[in-house]
Amino acid sequence: MASVEVELLWAEKYRPKTLDEIVNQEEIVRRLKQFVKSRNMPHCLFAGPPGTGKTTAALALAHDLYGSGYARYVLELNASDARGIDVIRTTVKEFARSVVPGPIPFKIIILDEADNMTADAQQALRRTMELFTSTCRFILIANYPSKIIEPIQSRTAFFRFTPLKKEDVVARLKWIADQENVKYDMEALETIFELSEGDMRRAINILQAASALGRVTVEAVYKVIGAAHPTEVREMIKAALAGRFTEAREKLRALMINYGLSGVDVVKALHREIFSAELKIPEELKVIIADYLGEVQYRLAEGADDEIQLSALIARLAMLGKRLRV
Amino acid sequence: MSTRLPWIIKYRPKKVAEVVDQDNAKKQFIPWIKAWIEGKKQEKKAALLYGPAGCGKTSLVEATAKEFGLELIEMNASDFRTREAIERIAKVAATKYSLFGFRSKIILLDEIDGLNAIADRGALSAVLDLIEATTHPIVLTANDPWDPKLRSLRDKCLLIAFRRLPKRAVILMLKRICESEKLICEYNALSLIADYAEGDLRSAINDLQNVASISKHITLEVTKPILARRDRQYTPFEALRSLFFSKYAWQAKKAVTSADIDYETMMLWIAENLPYQYTDPEDLWRAYEALARADVYLGRVKRTQNWDLLAYVFDLMGAGVALARRKTKFKWVKYSFPQKILLLAKTRGQREIRDAIAKVLAGALHISSIIAKREVLPFLRIIFNENPEYAARIALGLNLTESMIKFLTPKRYREVLRELAKLKKTA
Repeated sequence: MASVEVELLWAEKYRPKTLDEIVNQEEIVRRLKQFVKSRNMPHCLFAGPPGTGKTTAALALAHDLYGSGYARYVLELNASDARGIDVIRTTVKEFARSVVPGPIPFKIIILDEADNMTADAQQALRRTMELFTSTCRFILIANYPSKIIEPIQSRTAFFRFTPLKKEDVVARLKWIADQENVKYDMEALETIFELSEGDMRRAINILQAASALGRVTVEAVYKVIGAAHPTEVREMIKAALAGRFTEAREKLRALMINYGLSGVDVVKALHREIFSAELKIPEELKVIIADYLGEVQYRLAEGADDEIQLSALIARLAMLGKRLRV
Repeated sequence: MSTRLPWIIKYRPKKVAEVVDQDNAKKQFIPWIKAWIEGKKQEKKAALLYGPAGCGKTSLVEATAKEFGLELIEMNASDFRTREAIERIAKVAATKYSLFGFRSKIILLDEIDGLNAIADRGALSAVLDLIEATTHPIVLTANDPWDPKLRSLRDKCLLIAFRRLPKRAVILMLKRICESEKLICEYNALSLIADYAEGDLRSAINDLQNVASISKHITLEVTKPILARRDRQYTPFEALRSLFFSKYAWQAKKAVTSADIDYETMMLWIAENLPYQYTDPEDLWRAYEALARADVYLGRVKRTQNWDLLAYVFDLMGAGVALARRKTKFKWVKYSFPQKILLLAKTRGQREIRDAIAKVLAGALHISSIIAKREVLPFLRIIFNENPEYAARIALGLNLTESMIKFLTPKRYREVLRELAKLKKTA
């Protein structure tokens, strides 16, 4: 089957496998190589924006420690997928129990999106970490280190991942494109960087999608971005401001059901749209709307109903739209 | 959205003869009114019409006023809770002249048993004073005249009993409405409505209109599921109607708490139907804001398990919503079932496929399903919509199923499947 041209997602295909392959985050790589050299490591906390190489570094570290068969020594968990701390605890217990013979006396547990855990769950996690310290090392991954409780922060070695530099991202995209025999304009690669805000995974996803359309041009990149941002978002705002409530609500439902967006996703998409150049609304209105979007997002995070809160948002837009016209 | 009159208003009797049944009550009431008009001295200056809800007490008074050209001054229990309010009517009652020249009046105090004997003590004695001073007939209505708090009133009033309407009378009226509305009706269906109404013509007419808002054919099949929900509580339709019709906070709260569905579902019913009922943008915004606040309180109740807070949920989803209406006129609209519930049921299959794809991607890319849905799925869609050959190779790499491919590109999935078959052949 390997001879068949199976296509992988490039974000995975071109993920650096070893610490040596990582071209960015030099300081971090240097410290991680020390762990490999000493064949020991503390619990770690990798923090930084999405797409800056946190998971990649964790996997590469494991690879360099255990060799290419590293997978059996590593447990990958995602805090936002695993249902609750109890599930995490039992999975960890199961994993930690079996001892795998080898030169390294511990196994690695990578817990991604750890900052999505509640403070209570983190407290329980901390106890679990202490319980299995003799056989396991934790690598916690988070976007926002401030959302990790103090006791965990003080028990982990802290690694701050910084946004990738433009030349590094563009060079990587160029390298991938060359490997894949994809034709491209240099300008397009730069546009991808601008639109992905230093997030390498996003940049590579855009590149791959754009390459599916043919030559990677600036136009193709914008087409991909446009298609990835549903037009319903803008249509919803326009309908709401024009006072067409039910039409706006239908767009909202299409976004949530057809695109699978959560209430918070919709709020974020609206926020992006409000400040985009294409939507022509008075500047001061943008601030008023943003203020309310923040309120709605907070309520949703507290567990409010997305249909009710977003309907209230549409009603508010309709009211603002009417006041604007009169 | 149709904006017709509620049928209970549209088909309100205009003449005494049109009032269904209640011949005994008419025989007592009409001579008493006639005597007033003729200026004869009355032994009793007030009449207390009593009987079960919806049997025609208020209708008879209104029809009488129309037929004899009397001015009807109508007050509902909630309007005359204070002594001052009643004294205001008393002034009207004491004068012979109205704005329109000489014309007799009927003063109607509806639902007198709605008064709270303790909280509205002043009001009850004010009613007694009013009866003492009046120069116009005073009519009171009540469901239960034997209520102890009404004892002193009872002595001052001519008691007129209304009986529960017989089933055949209810059916007859429903039939008349069906003819007039050009509805095709099954006798069995009307009979069922009448059974449920238990002699309450108002609720029977409301039920009929609810059924008619769904189908022009009033059959047993259509009628049954709508009535079945009702067990001396409100259906969501009725609860909404009485919520939107509420003038007072207590009415609105009663409306949302007496629905036969849980309050979370009731919130969805309100959310669904608000835009049909409130057409003024400011009203709509106020109402949704109240509902959204109710939702926030409900979240706090659930999170903290502090059930005391539930009272505020009802305040906001009931009174908050009802009193948000300032400009919009109340009108009859057809209410719909909450689309959110329907859509969730309808799209469950789709969402399951989407979640399955997200899981595949999460595993392959070392990310969470949430990130997969938000960051990867949109780009995958583009590839699948734009380049079937390329898509097929990815589908093979990720081991995607046919339904997953169909989800990613509903338009071109056949092409992708063809390419996929070709790839597998060469393998």
